[in-house]
Amino acid sequence: MIEVKHVKKVFGRLEVLKDVSVEVKDGEVVVILGPSGSGKTTLLRCINFLENADSGELTVGDIQVDFKKASKKDILAIRRKTSFVFQNYNLFANKTAIGNVMEGLVTARRVPKEIAEKRAKEALNWVGLSDKYDYYPSQLSGGQQQRVGIARAFVLDPEVILFDEPTSALDPELVGETLDIIKKVAERGITMIVVTHEMSFAQEVADRVIFMDGGVVVEEGSPEEIFTDPKEERTRQFLSRIISLEPTYTI
Amino acid sequence: MDFNINNFVESFIYGMKYFPNTLRLVFIPLGVGLVLGTAAALVRVYKVPVLCKILAFVITVYQGVPIIVALMIYNLIFMMKYNDFAAFLHLKGTIADVDQIWIGIFALSLTAICSISEAIRGALLSIDKGQDEAGYSVGLTKIQTIYRIILPQMIPVAIPMLTNHVVGLIKASSVVMAIGIIEIVAGATIPSSRTYSFFEGYVAAALIYWIFTVMIEYLAKILRKHTGRFRRNLYD
Repeated sequence: MIEVKHVKKVFGRLEVLKDVSVEVKDGEVVVILGPSGSGKTTLLRCINFLENADSGELTVGDIQVDFKKASKKDILAIRRKTSFVFQNYNLFANKTAIGNVMEGLVTARRVPKEIAEKRAKEALNWVGLSDKYDYYPSQLSGGQQQRVGIARAFVLDPEVILFDEPTSALDPELVGETLDIIKKVAERGITMIVVTHEMSFAQEVADRVIFMDGGVVVEEGSPEEIFTDPKEERTRQFLSRIISLEPTYTI
Repeated sequence: MDFNINNFVESFIYGMKYFPNTLRLVFIPLGVGLVLGTAAALVRVYKVPVLCKILAFVITVYQGVPIIVALMIYNLIFMMKYNDFAAFLHLKGTIADVDQIWIGIFALSLTAICSISEAIRGALLSIDKGQDEAGYSVGLTKIQTIYRIILPQMIPVAIPMLTNHVVGLIKASSVVMAIGIIEIVAGATIPSSRTYSFFEGYVAAALIYWIFTVMIEYLAKILRKHTGRFRRNLYD
């Protein structure tokens, strides 16, 4: 279970997160929606301590820490229970696809090399890259890189995988193949928090949708509730703009 | 002006005789500069509190002093203070027992640390912050991330600048003859004071430096290709 309580974060004068609390049950897929600057990415980054929140509490599995008082040891422990898929992939440029997937296993978790290699190959096969083990990221397409990124996060068998706009940097053709892989991860019953702008993906995969704006959670509920019958005016406004971008047909 | 081949060859041989001194004057400072310069660059890029401010100040100030001035200052301090210093530490021997080349190596090392740390800092800054974040996200510590992810990516970026500094160091090593250390230039002109063929002596020295520099640049090119093999289309 992942629980974030009363997290606050200020960048200079800008209050990015104003007392946000989110709870995610085991195996649940939560999609966070919201306009740019609403704090959804910052929330995700705070959970992985890529950003240091100013106050609040975080629980990941059996570890509970206060954001402000977290020691280096706590941070490392949390990071070893979570993994992150980045918007711009952030594969290790100096390592091959299999090297990228093995790194966390071998260096951080001290898994013996042969076992790590076997697991890394399984993960890469699973995302459909069985012929690309020894390719460097510079030799892979964006979609392939993001699939390596997902394999790298998945192979660590974390409590939760955090996806930060995993398809935003991809062209429309590659979005589909990447979303398919993320769906496969969801089907495995892994807890996921996904920040995305892909509405149809959210509708299809999410167990729960959280809508954020201006650093607060405006509304949360099942995809049906949020998409067909939003309670808040702001949510309705946001969704109507997005959905009007998608083609509509009238007879 | 006649060019006396025999005198030239003699000067060349004398210059080569002192080539090991130049090697020491280049490679010891290079080694020291790589280790401490990388450390200083990491301290500054990862903003270690206090230390990074101090280093930024010291490096900027030190780079404003010409190497020959620094060398003269160290030499004078050494000559005036070494005997007291040795007595204080109960070392045997006096100033006469110490090879002066160490003063040259010391002065060149400090210069090398400063210039190499700036080159490496530039290379480190060129690496996307996302690489660090990716390292942390799979559970690596800061040290593991630097050692396994950042440094291997920094090296091919830094090599062209470092080569430049090594070549600069090779040429700068000739200033130590100002405090009486015999290296290539001083060595190559030893026969000249007997034969008056200074022109041949200096040309011989120039030739040795040129061959040395070409070899270094060739080695750097191989190294750059080898360490940068993960990068696409960057080096031919």
